[in-house]
Amino acid sequence: MSFNLKWILGGLSFVIAYALAYSAMAHGVDDSTQSFLLSNQGTAIIPFLYIGAKHMVTGYDHLLFLVGVLFFLFRNRDVLIYVSLFTLGHSLTLLLGVWYEFQVNAYLIDAIIGLSIVYKGFDNLGGFKRLLGFQPSTKLAVLIFGLFHGFGLATKLQEFELGGEGLFQNLLAFNVGVELGQFFALAFVLILLSYWRRYPSYLNFSTISNTALMSAGFMLTLLQLTGYFTS
Amino acid sequence: MNEIMYPTKSGKTLAKALLAAIIIAVIVFVTIILPSEYDIDPTGVGGALGLTVLAQHEEPVEVEAALEVEVTEAHTDPQSDTVEIVVPAGRGVEYKFKMEQFADIQYEWKTNGPALYFDFHGEPEGDTTGYFKSFTIATSSEMSGSMTVPFAGSHGWYWKNTTAEDVVVTLKTEGHYEVTGFPHK
Repeated sequence: MSFNLKWILGGLSFVIAYALAYSAMAHGVDDSTQSFLLSNQGTAIIPFLYIGAKHMVTGYDHLLFLVGVLFFLFRNRDVLIYVSLFTLGHSLTLLLGVWYEFQVNAYLIDAIIGLSIVYKGFDNLGGFKRLLGFQPSTKLAVLIFGLFHGFGLATKLQEFELGGEGLFQNLLAFNVGVELGQFFALAFVLILLSYWRRYPSYLNFSTISNTALMSAGFMLTLLQLTGYFTS
Repeated sequence: MNEIMYPTKSGKTLAKALLAAIIIAVIVFVTIILPSEYDIDPTGVGGALGLTVLAQHEEPVEVEAALEVEVTEAHTDPQSDTVEIVVPAGRGVEYKFKMEQFADIQYEWKTNGPALYFDFHGEPEGDTTGYFKSFTIATSSEMSGSMTVPFAGSHGWYWKNTTAEDVVVTLKTEGHYEVTGFPHK
């Protein structure tokens, strides 16, 4: 029992601590990155690669969503399919959003991203199947929420005057960086999840894990909505 | 393509999970996140935990630095000087003061009539590249003001006399500096 308790606490504190640890960087771009982005002129492939990767590795909102997506994916093939759908979704809106200068409020987008985590946690409990009587397509959901996550990424870049010079190259570099960061972070998430999966506690506590996920999603949504209403 | 099937929980479990998620989220949000991020603390818990300081954006480091400068300056009395500088016809003259970083100088100068082109500037200490930073460039027969210099080094004026007559500049200064005078002589 005490072993199981360890896992509950471990799982809960992992999700919540992760959400809180980085919350100081409310919008995911720290001061030094900000000063680089503001002063940068022209093409800078490697710096934008790095910023993209860093944004993803420290982007608890994107990662929590992926934890939710991967929670019940036990086969590598499924992991690949779902992660590809997520990548397709967020790359599309990231590239088009910045290129065509779609103006979306960053707080509202991040609030929706918070809700995407809630959605996935609820979905993992079979909530939508219970409520609606059928399982809404999980692939479609990942793709659609991927689109919102991409808009979130786009707003991070749009906070800065990126100028015309080298925009396309910088944008691509940022996007590739995002994927590299996602790959890196996913590797850690998968290692942790597959280690936990070897124990019965994984399934026994899937309800608690996904409740914690929903709770973290609600926190992020509340955080961003407060930002929206106070700014 | 087959979708991934999850274990479907009972309605009761779902309701409990959702309710628990919301309650935990609201409690953590109100007691910890709001005070830390926005300095909004309806319950007082954030303040009690010392979290509200996180949302107060003053930078104490800078305040301390500024205080220190004031304190050290208060220990030494400012000096004051008055000097008459002759700017020969068709020539330029520099008059400089050696100053520490954040040292202050109050100044007032005027010519005996004609307006002169001048450049009030500073050269960082130890610099050999010839770099200088201009604070004011203008053409005037008088100027007064004060300056807290941004770096240690040689600070002062360059006046250029384009008239056919010598011009006399009377310069009064007060502050924390060491008179260098005419650096090129």
